[in-house]
Amino acid sequence: MTTTKPAAGLRTAGAAAKESPRKPTPARSKQHPQGNKKLRRAGWLMVTPSILHIGLWTALPVIATFVLSFTNYNVFDAPRWIGFENYIEVWNDPTFRKATWNTVVYTFWTVPVSMAIAVVIAVMLNQKMRFQTWYRAAFFLPQVTATVAIAMVWLWIFNPQQGLLNAALSVVGIPGKSWLADPDWALWAVILVGVWQGIGMKMLIYIAALQNIDESLYEAASIDGASSIRKFFSITLPMLKPATFFVFVISVIGAFQVFDQVYVLTDGGPANATTMMTYEVYRSAFQNFRMGMASAQSVFLFAFLLVMTLASRRLTRGEDG
Amino acid sequence: MRMIRTHAAAVAFAATAALTLSACSSADGGTSAGDGTVSGDITLLSPIFEGSEGQRLLEDELLPQFYAKYPDVKVTVDYTTYNQLNEKLTTAVASGLVPDVMMMGVGWVESFADRGVLANLSETGLTQEKLEESYTKEIVEAGMWEDSVYALPIMLDTRFGVARMDLLREAGYDAPPKTWDELTEMSKALTVRSEDGTLQRTGFDVQSMDPRQMFMTMLFSAGGDLFTEDLTAPAFNSPAGVDALEFVSDLIHVDKVEDIGFSSASADPNPLVNGRAAMAIAHNNVWSQFEKAAPELLGELQPFVIQGEASGMFFGGTLATVSAKSKHPEAAQALMEFLASPGPALAANEQRGNVPALTELLDSDYVQGNPLVQFAMENLDVARREGGPAQWLEIRGTFKPAIEAALLGQQTPQEALDGLAKSAQTAIDRK
Repeated sequence: MTTTKPAAGLRTAGAAAKESPRKPTPARSKQHPQGNKKLRRAGWLMVTPSILHIGLWTALPVIATFVLSFTNYNVFDAPRWIGFENYIEVWNDPTFRKATWNTVVYTFWTVPVSMAIAVVIAVMLNQKMRFQTWYRAAFFLPQVTATVAIAMVWLWIFNPQQGLLNAALSVVGIPGKSWLADPDWALWAVILVGVWQGIGMKMLIYIAALQNIDESLYEAASIDGASSIRKFFSITLPMLKPATFFVFVISVIGAFQVFDQVYVLTDGGPANATTMMTYEVYRSAFQNFRMGMASAQSVFLFAFLLVMTLASRRLTRGEDG
Repeated sequence: MRMIRTHAAAVAFAATAALTLSACSSADGGTSAGDGTVSGDITLLSPIFEGSEGQRLLEDELLPQFYAKYPDVKVTVDYTTYNQLNEKLTTAVASGLVPDVMMMGVGWVESFADRGVLANLSETGLTQEKLEESYTKEIVEAGMWEDSVYALPIMLDTRFGVARMDLLREAGYDAPPKTWDELTEMSKALTVRSEDGTLQRTGFDVQSMDPRQMFMTMLFSAGGDLFTEDLTAPAFNSPAGVDALEFVSDLIHVDKVEDIGFSSASADPNPLVNGRAAMAIAHNNVWSQFEKAAPELLGELQPFVIQGEASGMFFGGTLATVSAKSKHPEAAQALMEFLASPGPALAANEQRGNVPALTELLDSDYVQGNPLVQFAMENLDVARREGGPAQWLEIRGTFKPAIEAALLGQQTPQEALDGLAKSAQTAIDRK
C-alpha cells in the first residue's frame, strides 16, 4: 500500500486555513450584505425542490397516515373519527398477530443468513480471479430483477409435481413437499426466496468495505504465520463491523417491508401461514377498503421499525460513522 | 378460424346491438341515436380484454363499431386485471378520478352502488323487468342494489363438476355422479396412488379452484345460502354450510381422495388435462385448456351439476357499470350498452372462453361449439352467485384463509365457518 504525500501548495493552504479564523470578519459582512442575502436566497432556492419533494411525498403521507389511523375511512365516505378503535382492533386481531410473528420469523432468518452468505461470497469475489466481474454481476442480478419475475421462477422451482426442488430431492431419495401449499413449509419457502434475493446488495456493500481494509494488516498477519481462517476472523470480520451494522439495519428494514414475494408466491396462505405485516396493510386498504385500519397497521409497523432502528443505532454508536 | 368467426359474429350482431341499444335507451333519447348529441372523451376501466389479443379485439374490432355509431365519442381504455381491479377502483374513488365506464365482478356492484359510485341505470329506463327479458333473474340481480339496476352483465365465469369420461369408463362408470354419495364412492374408486402411497391421480379435485369459489359451489349444492334474505347476517355457517365444508374436508382427510398441495388454484394445466384428476370442480374455460393442450380428449369431457340437497353450480362474471359522476353520462351509458350488446359481448366471451350472460346467445356458433359453455348456459336457471351485502368485498377476502384452515385440519368446518361468520357480521354491522 502506498501513501501519497500532500503537495506543498496544498499543505500551505491547509496550514493557512488552520491559522486564519473561519468566521468572516464583520467588516467583510458589512461590505457585502447584499451578497450574503443573495447567497442565502440561492441556497433556499436550491433546497426548495428537495423540501417540497420530502414535504409532499414523505411528510404529508406520514401525517395523513397517522391522522387516518384514528378514523373509519373506507374511501367512499368522509373519514369519521373513532379514536383508538383501529389500534385496539389491530392489537386484538389474531391475523395481524400472526402476520407480525411471520414477519419477525422472516426477518430473523433472512437477515443473518443472507448476511453470512453475502460476506463469504464477498470475500471470495474480492480475490483476484478470472471472470470476477461476471460472478459479481451474477450474484447481484436478483437484486435488480423484478420480484414478480423472480417469484414466477420460484413458483416453478417449488412446484410439487414438475418443480426443480422436488426433482433434486428425489435424486437423493428425499420425498418432495408441497412447498407453498403446506403451512409447515410455505414460510420457509418464502424465507428461502428472501435469502436468495437479498444476497446481492449485501455482497456489494461488503465488497466495497473489503476494498477499504488496509492490505498491510494481512501482510503483517502473514509474517506472523496466521492462517487464512485466522485472518478472516481476526482481521476481515472486525474490520467489516461498521459495514455489517449498516447492512444489518437496512436488511431489517427491508425484511419488515417484505411484500412482493408473498403477494406472488402464496397470497399470504395457506391459512395465513405466510401473511406479513405489509401484506395485511395491503389487504385492509385494497381488499377490504378499510383505509383507517390500514393506516393503524402502518403506524404499528412504523413503530416496530423505529424501535428496531433506534436499537440498531444504539448498538452502532461510534462505529457507523 | 375462430377469430374469423368472431369477427363475423361481431359484425352480424352489430345490427342486433343497435336494436338492443334502442330498447335499453334512456327516456330522453340521449343514448339512442347517432345524431351527434352523444359526445365526449370517456374512460373505460376493463379487467377483461387483457393481453395483446384482447386489446386488439377491443381496439381494432369492437371500438371502431362503436365509433361508427358515436363518432363524437372518444374512449380511452385503462386495462387491468381482476387482481388489481380493487387497487384501481380504490385509488380512483379516493382521487375522485373515477372512470366513466367500469367493468367489475359479480359481488362488487353492491359495494360501489351503496356508496354512490355507480349511476342508477333504472333512472335511465333499464329496469329489472326489461333486463329479465334478456337475462336470467339471478344474473340480473347480480347487477342490482336495493331494487335498482346498476350494471349490465357481459360474461359469466361458471363453476360446476367436470368428469373425464375415459377415466370413468376405465373404472366401470358410464356417467358422472348424481348425488354426494355417488360422488364420494366414485371419487374413491377413481383415485390412484402408487405403492408408497404417493397420489398419482385424484378422483375428485377440489384444489384447482379458489377455495372460496369451491366452497360456494358445494354450499349451494348443499342447499345453503351465503346470507340471510335481508342480507343482515351470514348464513354460510348453517348446517348446510358445515355439511358442504365437511364433505370436502372428508374427501381429503377421511376418504384420501386428494392430498393437500396436490393441486392449486394456479395449477396450469388443470389436472383434468393431464389425467391427474378424473373429476373436478372446474371453470368453464377448462375447455379452452383442452383445446390447446389435449384436443383429442375434448370428447371425453362431461360437465355435471353437483347435486346435493340442491344444484351446485356457481357463477361469477363481469358486468359493465357507469360512474355516477361521469361528465358524459350519455356517452358512458352508450359505451356500456354497446359492450353488453350481443356482438361485442359474444366476442369478449369467445376471447376468454367464458359464458355469455345474454340468453339469446345460447344459439350462437361459439356456444354451440363449446359443450361446457353450452352446459353452463343451459343450466343458468340453477346457477347461483356470490355477493349480497354492501360489505361483501371486505367479507370475501376472509373466506380463503378460513376454508384453507378447515381443509388443512387446523380447524373443524364448524369452527372455521363460525369464525368467518363472526368477522362477516362485524363487517356488516360496521357503520
